[in-house]
Amino acid sequence: MSRIALVLRKDLLVLRRSPLLLALLIVYPLVVAGLVGAVAGYGSSKPRVALVDEDHLPAVVHIGGRAFRITDAIGEVGKNVHLVRMSPDEAARQLRSGRVVATLTVPPGFLDELKSGLSSPSLVYQTTHGGISPRVTQQVQALVYSLDRRLQEAFVQTDLRYVRLIQHGGAATFGGKEYDVLGLDRMHGLLVQLPKSSQRDRVAEFARIASVALGQTGNLLAATASPITLERASEKSRSSLLSAQVEAYALALTITFLALLLAAGALAAERDENAIGRLARGLVSLGELVWAKVALAAVVALALGLGIALVFGVIVEAGGVVGGEPWVRLPLLALGLLLAGASLGAVGALLGALAREARTASLVAVLVVMPIVFLGLVPKQVAPAAGWISDALPFVHAVRYFASALYDARPWSTVVREIAWLVGLGAIFGAAARLATRRLLA
Amino acid sequence: MTAPDPLLRARGVARRFGAQVALEPVDVDVHEGETIALIGPNGAGKSTLLSILAGSLEPSAGTVERVDGMGVGWVPQRPSLYDRLTARENLELFARLEGAENPRVSVDDLLSTFGLPADRAAASLSVGNRQRLNVAIALLGEPRVLLLDEPTASLDPGQRRRLWELVRGGTVVFSTQNLEEIGLYASRVVVLQRGRVTFDGPAREYERVHAAEVFA
Repeated sequence: MSRIALVLRKDLLVLRRSPLLLALLIVYPLVVAGLVGAVAGYGSSKPRVALVDEDHLPAVVHIGGRAFRITDAIGEVGKNVHLVRMSPDEAARQLRSGRVVATLTVPPGFLDELKSGLSSPSLVYQTTHGGISPRVTQQVQALVYSLDRRLQEAFVQTDLRYVRLIQHGGAATFGGKEYDVLGLDRMHGLLVQLPKSSQRDRVAEFARIASVALGQTGNLLAATASPITLERASEKSRSSLLSAQVEAYALALTITFLALLLAAGALAAERDENAIGRLARGLVSLGELVWAKVALAAVVALALGLGIALVFGVIVEAGGVVGGEPWVRLPLLALGLLLAGASLGAVGALLGALAREARTASLVAVLVVMPIVFLGLVPKQVAPAAGWISDALPFVHAVRYFASALYDARPWSTVVREIAWLVGLGAIFGAAARLATRRLLA
Repeated sequence: MTAPDPLLRARGVARRFGAQVALEPVDVDVHEGETIALIGPNGAGKSTLLSILAGSLEPSAGTVERVDGMGVGWVPQRPSLYDRLTARENLELFARLEGAENPRVSVDDLLSTFGLPADRAAASLSVGNRQRLNVAIALLGEPRVLLLDEPTASLDPGQRRRLWELVRGGTVVFSTQNLEEIGLYASRVVVLQRGRVTFDGPAREYERVHAAEVFA
């Protein structure tokens, strides 16, 4: 057995004899991953938007012969944003203080203009700058789109009633007066009873063709109002909690925490136990010692990562989620877990060598994990500097590797690129750790 | 008649820790069969010199030569072992790292010789047993020279006697603050003061001339 393998075996034995530490190492990052997910969920929860009703909309509005319950419309919008009714002054104050992210004002005369159908009334929208305001704007646009769709349906139905009246005739009310409309069909019936002539035939033919053409109007109006409709499939899909990205982040966060802490603590512990002096007498070189800790992080990351993937997969399969867990990709995931664990272990070994004492090393590792993870979560478009720093650390490459290896149809280019990153970063941090390990002998 | 080559030869070895000088350049030879007591006040450089002779610390200057292929056993002042491993596991690990041909046999022999509880975690051993385990590990690979850094500092008189019974007979270099051990076990004395060798000679001459001066 090689000397690296002997030290690795010893470290695994020591780890096995520390069940509390092992449990904490597994549970803690999973709890953190859950909390990060909860915070992310809160970030995407409904933003608060002020609704200022200066037109005093009634509870039920009749447009085009159809009744609209305003509360129902607001309720539907409320799936995306939390609409809160308030006065104009209060809305302005809360917008300034940031208590609401936007105000949506129904101006005076809005309903009358809408009912007239002569022009399109406007809702007035005001929002803060930056932050989630673009997302809120999208949601308010979606609200207006949703209201427009409902109104379009009402207007189309109204228009169609008039079309049917012209087509078939019947009783109608205009301006409070009742009329009996002849209609094209009845007109055609009367015409054919008249003495036959070419003029009569031409008018009767026009009435027949016009009636047929108007019969198609309903579909045409509906198609004009909504050239494209969005139909939501009823098929069971992944919930956001079971998404590929969540699995990739959960894996990366867990092994980052584990690898950093294990490698840092295990290397510094060699000094705490005064063993490094004995080992350094030619039994194990400092380089071999560093690589043994890197191997420890890689092996534990592999075992734990596969465990998480298995549990995740079982939940996905048990839930009958569409797509399921990509079991055939597990070997590819295993390779990534090993490499990511090793690369992160090299970072941990560097921390352990710099900290020199196991307790200090563990504390430093815990303190370093969170910035590494959060840097990896910040989109490059939001903070380019964070993206560059993150690129120089293994976490974000682990995330990209896992997501691609598990769920991309053609993962190879991403996988190869991220392998190169992980190996390169591992070699750099490992070499730095080797140099820093000399400090442990002093 | 020429003296036989020393097993260990240190020439001009010195060590600095940053700006602090722990050991000025010193020359020391260790010959077969000698039992050398390395003495001096705290901070004189005894542990540093022993660590350099053992090969666990690189000198800032100078060289250490040893007979080709010769094993050197090293017993640091603070036990160098893994607390969560048992006595047997500690010995087996270091036996394998030493490249022992039959590690289990070597380990069984040492456990028996030192009377150590094989399957108890090192952390739960008494101070005396931890030190015996520390010495037992140093004897793996059957070293021709044994270097001991204040091996009996934390032991009671009975434990000291039993420990010496186990290590006597070979070539030994030990540091100590216990002058009684010099008279009992040392054939030669090397005195270190402020990182310099101020005496290097037979134990009897040291006791006659210098003993009172060193710790004055």
